[in-house]
Parts: sequence; structure tokens; C-alpha cells
Amino acid sequence: MIHIKDISYRYPDNTLAIDSLSLNINKGEFVAIAGKNGCGKSTLLRHMNGLLLPCQGSVVVNGMDTSDPSSLMDIRRTAGMVFQDPGSQFIGMTVEEDVAFGPENLGLSQREINERVDLSLQNVGMEGYRYHTPRSLSGGQKQKVALASVLAMKPDIILFDEVTSMLDPCSRKDILSLIENLHENGTTVVYVTHHLEELVHADRLVVMENGRIVHDGHPREILSRNDPEQFGSDLPPVIELARRLADSGLIPADPSSFPLSRAELREVLCRSK
Amino acid sequence: MNDLFMSFVPGDSVLHRLDPRTKIIGLMLVSFCILDASSFADMFFIALVFTVLVLSCRLPLGHFVRSVRPMLFFFAILFLMQLFFTEGREVWHFSSLSVTYEGLLLGTTITLRFVFLLLFAALITATTSPSRITSGIERLLRPLPLRYVGITSHDMAMMMSLSIYFVPMFYDSFTSLREAQISRGLDIRKEPVKAIFSIVVPLVSGSVRRVEEVALAMESRCYQSTGRSSMHEMKFTGKDHVSFAMFVFLILFLTVL
Ligand SMILES: Nc1ncnc2c1ncn2[C@@H]1O[C@H](COP(=O)(O)OP(=O)(O)OP(=O)(O)O)[C@@H](O)[C@H]1O
Ligand SMILES: [Mg+2]
Repeated sequence: MIHIKDISYRYPDNTLAIDSLSLNINKGEFVAIAGKNGCGKSTLLRHMNGLLLPCQGSVVVNGMDTSDPSSLMDIRRTAGMVFQDPGSQFIGMTVEEDVAFGPENLGLSQREINERVDLSLQNVGMEGYRYHTPRSLSGGQKQKVALASVLAMKPDIILFDEVTSMLDPCSRKDILSLIENLHENGTTVVYVTHHLEELVHADRLVVMENGRIVHDGHPREILSRNDPEQFGSDLPPVIELARRLADSGLIPADPSSFPLSRAELREVLCRSK
Repeated sequence: MNDLFMSFVPGDSVLHRLDPRTKIIGLMLVSFCILDASSFADMFFIALVFTVLVLSCRLPLGHFVRSVRPMLFFFAILFLMQLFFTEGREVWHFSSLSVTYEGLLLGTTITLRFVFLLLFAALITATTSPSRITSGIERLLRPLPLRYVGITSHDMAMMMSLSIYFVPMFYDSFTSLREAQISRGLDIRKEPVKAIFSIVVPLVSGSVRRVEEVALAMESRCYQSTGRSSMHEMKFTGKDHVSFAMFVFLILFLTVL
């Protein structure tokens, strides 16, 4: 799906943000990317739909190389991106127009555009807000609209850049369950986050540091050991607790059964009694 | 915050559903009539047309009052200028200034013209979403040979709608910055220069960041300036033909009057 081969990226001010990094993302995977502030997560993500081009190395999305200008449109249609700030990714004056922006750029017919707008708004449960202006929406609602706008392009891959970091816990759960649904229906998800408790759904966790990948594996494997310092966030209490329980032998120390959520911890505790 | 100056009020009236091109052309024709109107009978007729239109789209009158309010000062100046500086029969005088009958007449008609221009413009912006206005303008511009200047009608329309879009965004960040600075103890009245700097500097840098983010969002959703389509139907329907007939009638009526 996405093949990143030995890329490096330097910003014009000479900051080396990505340092000879390689990563393959397979179809249907839910890959989470974590790491400290400034480790290059957003920069990496922006390479995955050709917003940035590597200074060295290559990025191939669905067989299309991002360095080929003629396939950029197809790449961006294949890999949609939702950004962190709910306020500054609105392009239309109303919800409907914002969602229609992508399909309009694809030059679709008016009927097709309207169908896609209806469907995408239904998918995120915002169909009642069609004629609202972005300013009248909450942060969580804005992010849902942003997701609908990406869905309207019918992407195979969706890239999420800390989309929940400006939301309250309740809207965060909403967005996460939408993303999980998409993943279950076959969308490939790349999800950058600072919130390790959001990793329950991920098949794979990639941890970055200084523009390189330092860990790549199942979240259980990675979170059951390793210094939390690297993840760019404190360990969630459940994981902290699970680690201590495992250390003192109260639950099995086997990483493949390491609990990532409260429900999982309860289950493990019941079983080990 | 939804009734900012000249803002759009969603609705489903005939005026809302007219093709934006009809409304833009209509506004131009009506403006021509307004600028041409000189008698009170003309003014009365225009006021009548305006009232009928407002009633037909069931918009609150308060919305239009708010559209005119920011310009009141300008209108007052305009009126007073005409009032005092027109030669003619003197009605009243105050030291060297004299008010003439002609001045009163001219002041009233000129001011009314501007008020009506503004009201009709507000009527169009209230019943047409900005993006429909811009796509209407885009379609009207399409025949122009813009590509010789290296720009497409889509680019023009996009620039217009983005600038409309950034105004409320700008206003929001201004308000929140001002509040933030005041809550940190900034006294705008005591230190106006410092206050301006402490608000304008972050406002500009924040806006630049915002613009960059919107540009990224546009790019990642495949923005292109050629080959775009639009979700808005642009088709002249029966309603539009009737409206055009009414414009012609209106103009004939006013020229005969
Ligand atoms: N536009 C830019 N110009 C110059 N340097 C930049 C730019 N954007 C990011 N950087 C630098 O590149 C490095 C990686 O930034 P990046 O935004 O990818 O990090 P990140 O992992 O997404 O961080 P965060 O968790 O804060 O979002 C940082 O050192 C940052 O300072
Ligand atoms: Mg980032």
C-alpha cells in the first residue's frame, strides 16, 4: 500500500526532520505512530500523500511514486489526510460545501457530488448539520466534518495527524470509534497520536525519535517494556498498572497477552486467578 | 456571531433559490436604477420593491438594519455635506453655514441612494451563500480571456471565496487575542501603541500560519484550478426567466416615470 524507502527530509531552514527512514504499510492495517514532539511524525505523514517530497529516497503509494507530478492527484485521492486543528482545515462556507470541495476538484458530476456529500455526512453522523457554518460547530463536530470531507474522496488510506489532540474525551471517543469502523470496513489507517490509550485498536505501533524509527511492532510488545520517555507521553494508568502487576508476577509477563485497556486488564486478572 | 455585516442567512425562499447569476445581474441593473433615481416617487418605488423582496424571502428586517448600521457615520457625513454645500434657496442658517432647500433635497436623495445600494447588496448576500456568489461570478467571468493574464476564472472565484472566508476567522482571532492580552493586564486606553503591537503581531503571524494550513488542506484534497466541477446547479429556470422579465419591466417603469 505505502512503501517508504530510505527517505530523508530537510526543511528549508536545514532542520533534518526525517533521517533515512524506511517503512512499509500494508493494505488494511491500522498503524499508529507515536513519539516525542518534533520527532518528525507530521513530516513523515505529509510524505505519504505527496504534500512533501523526500529530498532523498522514494515514497510509493498504491504503485504510484509521489515524485511523479502526474500521479499526485491520484495519490491524494487514494490517501486522504485529516489534520490536527479542527479550525483551519475548513474550506467551504458551510458543512455541505466543505465536504463537496474534494469531489468538485475531481470534476465529478453534480449528482455524484451530492450523493457523496450525503453519504459521507451520514457516515460520520453529521447529516443534520449540512447547512451549518463551520463557526457554529464544536471542535469534535468539525473533526467529524473534516473526516467526512476526506471520505467524500473515497480514499483507500486515511492519514490522521493528532486529530483528537484538541478534543474533549467524549468527542475523542466518538472520532476514534468512527476511525475503528472505517478500519473494520477495510480502510488502511495511519494514525499519529500522543495518547497511548488510543492504541487499543492499532495492529501496529511505530515509535519515532529524531526522524528515525526506533520501534516497530504490535502495541502490546512495545508498550509492555521500553522507556515511556520515547513515546512522547506518560504511560496511561492502566498500562502502568499492568506493567507493575506483570513485574510482580500477578499477571503473565508474556507481551502477547499484555492488557492495553481496562477491559483487557480485567479479563487478564480474572484468568490469572 | 451569525449576523456579521452582510452575512448569509440560510433559507428556502424564491430569492434563495434563484440562480446566483440572475441575482448578480439583477443587482447590477437595480444599482443602475438606484443611481438613476432622482425623484421621491422613484425612491418610494424602489423602497416598495425592496420591501416586497424582503417580505417574500421572510428575512428579519433587523438583519438589514444591522447591515446599514456600520455605515451610518458615512451617511451622516454625506448628508451634511450636501445639506451645507449646495447653493440655492436658504431655509435656515447658522453663522456662515446655511442650509438650502436644494441641499436638503439633494442630501436626502444621495443618502437614500447609498442606503438602497447597501440594502440591495445585503439582500443578495443574505439570500446567496458566498460560494454561490463566487461560483456565479466564476461563470460570468468564464468568457473573459483571463488565461492571457495567467489566471483561471476558478482561481479568481477561489480567491474571492477564501478572502470572504478569512474575514470571520480573522475577526475571531482578533477577539480572542484581545481578550488574552487584556486578561494579562494590558490596558488598551493607557498604552494604545503597545496594545496595537501586542495584538497585531500575533494576529499576523497566526494568520500566516492559518493560511498555510488551509493551503495544505486544499492541496491534500486535490485542489486544481482547471477541470473543477461544482455541486451547485447553475441552470436558468422558469424563476430566472420571470425575474429577468421583471427586471426589464422595472427598468422601463423607472425610465418612463
Ligand atoms: N515548516 C517547518 N519549517 C522548518 N522546520 C520545521 C517545519 N515543520 C517542522 N519543522 C521541524 O521539523 C522537525 C519535525 O517536525 P514535525 O512537525 O514533523 O514533528 P512532530 O513529530 O509532528 O511533532 P508534534 O508532536 O509537535 O506534532 C521538528 O524539529 C520541527 O521543528
Ligand atoms: Mg505534528
